[in-house]
Amino acid sequence: MLHLAYDREIDVLNALTSQNLVDIQFSMVEGLVTTNDENTYIPVLAKEIPTEENGGVERNADGTVTMTWDLQEGVRWHDGEAFTSEDVCFTWSFVISPASQVYNRHEYEGIVACDTPDEHTVVFTWDGVYGYYPGLFEVVLPEHILGGKTAEEVVNYTPYNRGTELVGTGPFRFAEWRAGEYIRVVRNDDYWRGPEVPAIDEIIWSFVPDNNTRFTAMKAGQYHWARIQPTQVEEARQLDGYEVFLVSSNSFMHLDLSLNTENARALFSDAAVREAMFMAVDRQAIADQLLQGTVRLADSPINHTSPFHNADVPSPQFDPDGAREMLDRAGWVVGPDGIRTRDGRRFSFTLLNRAGASDRIAVAQVIQAQLKDVGIEVRFSTLESAAWTQKWRSGDWEAVVSAWFLPADPSVTGLYACDGSNNMTGLCNEELDELMKESDRFLDFESRKAALDEVQLRLADEHRSLPLYFNVVPELVSDRIEGHRGSGTNFGSFWNLWEWRLR
Amino acid sequence: MTAYILRRVLQMVPLLLGITVILFAVIQAAPGGPEGALLESGRFIDPSVVEAYRARLGVDQPVPVQYVRWIGAALRGDLGVSFSTTRPVTEMIIERLPATLELMGSAFVLAAILAFLIGTLSAVRQYSWFDHLSTSASFLGIAMPVFWFGLILQLVFGVWLGWLPVAGTGSLSGGGLLNHLQYLVLPSIVLSLRYVAGWSRYLRGSLLGALRADYIRTARAKGLSEGAVVGVHGLRNALIPVVSIMALNLAGLFGGAVITETIFAWPGIGRMFVQAMFARDYPLLMGILLLGSVMVVVFNLVADIVYAALDPRIRYE
Repeated sequence: MLHLAYDREIDVLNALTSQNLVDIQFSMVEGLVTTNDENTYIPVLAKEIPTEENGGVERNADGTVTMTWDLQEGVRWHDGEAFTSEDVCFTWSFVISPASQVYNRHEYEGIVACDTPDEHTVVFTWDGVYGYYPGLFEVVLPEHILGGKTAEEVVNYTPYNRGTELVGTGPFRFAEWRAGEYIRVVRNDDYWRGPEVPAIDEIIWSFVPDNNTRFTAMKAGQYHWARIQPTQVEEARQLDGYEVFLVSSNSFMHLDLSLNTENARALFSDAAVREAMFMAVDRQAIADQLLQGTVRLADSPINHTSPFHNADVPSPQFDPDGAREMLDRAGWVVGPDGIRTRDGRRFSFTLLNRAGASDRIAVAQVIQAQLKDVGIEVRFSTLESAAWTQKWRSGDWEAVVSAWFLPADPSVTGLYACDGSNNMTGLCNEELDELMKESDRFLDFESRKAALDEVQLRLADEHRSLPLYFNVVPELVSDRIEGHRGSGTNFGSFWNLWEWRLR
Repeated sequence: MTAYILRRVLQMVPLLLGITVILFAVIQAAPGGPEGALLESGRFIDPSVVEAYRARLGVDQPVPVQYVRWIGAALRGDLGVSFSTTRPVTEMIIERLPATLELMGSAFVLAAILAFLIGTLSAVRQYSWFDHLSTSASFLGIAMPVFWFGLILQLVFGVWLGWLPVAGTGSLSGGGLLNHLQYLVLPSIVLSLRYVAGWSRYLRGSLLGALRADYIRTARAKGLSEGAVVGVHGLRNALIPVVSIMALNLAGLFGGAVITETIFAWPGIGRMFVQAMFARDYPLLMGILLLGSVMVVVFNLVADIVYAALDPRIRYE
C-alpha cells in the first residue's frame, strides 16, 4: 500500500470540471495524451500524437485541418465496457457546451466536427491551425455513464464527482473517498498496458492541509510521499529513508508592470526606465536567500525543462549603479527624501500583494528594498486572496508579483497579445503580436520552436515583465518508491503511477 | 421554568434570522468570489467560463436577491448546494459533524477533569508550590498559540518519542477503538489546553471565595471532616459560576476546532470551514456559520438553565 500525504481535500473527481489542479484523478482516468517530466506531451490512449509527418494531420484547401487519432485497442473502462472513439467525441461535445465550464473550453472550440469512422479512430475537423492541439483531451469521459445528460447535469452528477460511478481506463480504480480524510484507489487488474502493471496494489491520498504537520508526519514515518515547502528542504535532506526532489514547476514567478493607471503610464512608459528598474533587482539574492537556492532563475516564461525554452534569452543582470545612471539619464533625479522625481512627480508606485502568499510578499519586500536603493519608492497594497484575484484580473494596478502556471504547451499569446485573455498589463506590441499568433499556427516542432525562440527574445526586450524564477515543488519521497519522475506541469507528478513500485 | 425555556426558544428565531442577515452580508462583503479558486490556480482561464460559472452559482445576482433565495430555501430546511463539491450542504455538514463533536467532547471532558483537579488543589493549598506552579502554567496555557503548542506536541510525541501519530484518525490502520484513541489524544490535549487553564483559574478563585464564607465556618464548627467541608459545602457552591462558564465555552470549543482540526488533519467541520472560506463557497460557509450560531445561542440557554438548576436562589419567570 502506497500512502501519500496530499495538501488539501479536492473538490470533485471529474478532472475536467474540478477547480483545483488535478493529479489524484490521473491514477484512475486517462486521456489521449498526458505530459511527462520533460514537459512534453506523450500519447496514452492514442497510439501516437498525429502530426503532418506521420500523416495524422492534413491541411485542407478551405483552411480547415483534419486530424486523425488512432486509439489503443483492447482498452476497457473499469466496469468492463469497451473504450471507443465515441467516448472521445462525447468528451468533446461535453467540453464545448457552455455549461461545462471547463477552464480551457475555448481551446476545444476550434474543433468543428468529431467523427468516428470506426471504434478505434477519431477524426477531428479544426476550423484552422492551432499549435496547441496535442495538449487537449488529457481526460476522456465515459459516454456510457455520462452520456444522455446535459452538460450541467454532468457537472453536478455526484456519483461521478464523488467516485461511486467513476470509471476510468487508468491503472487504478476508485475504491473509497472518506470525507475529510482520504481517497483510496485499488489496482485495476484489467489494465490495458498488461497484467504486470501497475505494481502497486493500493494507493491512499490522505488530506493533510497543514504544511508543518505534513512535514512532521513524514518525519514520523506516516507517509511515503508529500509535497513540502522550500524552507523545509534543507532539513528534509538530512532525513534517513527519504529523498528530496526539487520539481521545477511551470509556475513562472515574475514582476509585472502595468500601464493601466495614469501614474503607471507616467512612470513606466519609457522602456529604458523599466530596464533600469529590472537591473536594480537582485534576483540571485532572492533565489539564494528567500528560497534557499532551491529554484532556478527564469529568463523567459517557458521553463528550462521544456523543449521550447530558448537558452539564448539574455539574463537580466543585477547592476544597481547602471540602473542609477540610466534613471538619471531619463531625467529622474534624486530628490531630498532620496526618491527620484521628474516634472514634479515622485517615482513612487503601488505593488499589489496577496495576503497570505508569504513567498510572493517576501519577494516583493526584497524588490521594494532594492528599488528604494536606487531611489524608487514602492508602496504595498495587500488584499485578501479572492479580492486580490479580482483586482488583478481587472488590470487596475501598477505592479504585481505573481505566477502563471503554464501547461506543457508553450503558447504565451494569451498572456502577452494585445487582446490576450490573460493580458492584464496592457502590453501591446503589434509586431510581437503577429509573431506570437504565428507561433500558434505551426504544427511542427521546428517551425514552432523557431518562432517561439524569437518571441522569447522580443519579450525580454519589452522589459514589461521581469522573470524571477520557476517555482519549485519540493517533493519528499520515500526511498521505497521506485519510478517517481516528478513533473512540473499542471498534470502533476502522478502521470506515470502505473510504473511506480514500492520496495 | 418551562415557560421560560419556551420563551427563550421562541426568541431564538428572530435572533437567528438577524444573525443570518449579518453573516450573509459579511461573507458577501469580502471582495472576490467563488471564481477566485479557478483564477488563482494560475492556469489560463477562458473569461467566458468565469461568467458562466458565476451565473450558474447565482452569484451574478444582487446580494439581497441571493439572500432571499437562500433564506427562502433555508426556512424549508434546504441549505443549498456547495459551490465546490456540488453536494448538498446539509449532507456535507452531517458527514463531518461526528468528528467535530467527538473532538469537542473529548477536549471538554479532559479540560473539565483537569481543571477540576488543578483548581481544587490550588485553592485548598493556596500559595503552596503546586498553586504557584499551576498559576504560572495556566497563564502560559492561556497565552500559548494553539498552532505552536500543537506543533511542539507533534514533534515530541510523534517524531522524538514516536508514541503517537500526528495526523488523521486512524481509520486506515485497521480501525479499532484503541487505535483510534491514539489519534484523538494530541488534538484533544491541544484543544483543551486553554480551557484547562481558564477553568482551573475560575474554580480556584471561586472556591477560595466559598471557603471563606460563613457557612464553611459553620460546617467546620459542626465538626465535619475537611473533605466534606471542601467537597460538599465548598465545591458545590464554587462550581455554580464555573459550570455556566463551561457551558458558554462550548461554543468556543467549536471555534477552536477550526485550528486544531487543520493542524491534526482531523476530518471535522472546522477544517471544512477553512477550505470553504478560501473557496468562497457561500452556501457551505452559511451552513457552517448557522450551525455555529445555533450552538452559541443554545449553549447560552443551557448555561442559564444550568445556573438555575444549581443555584436555588435563581428563578426564571
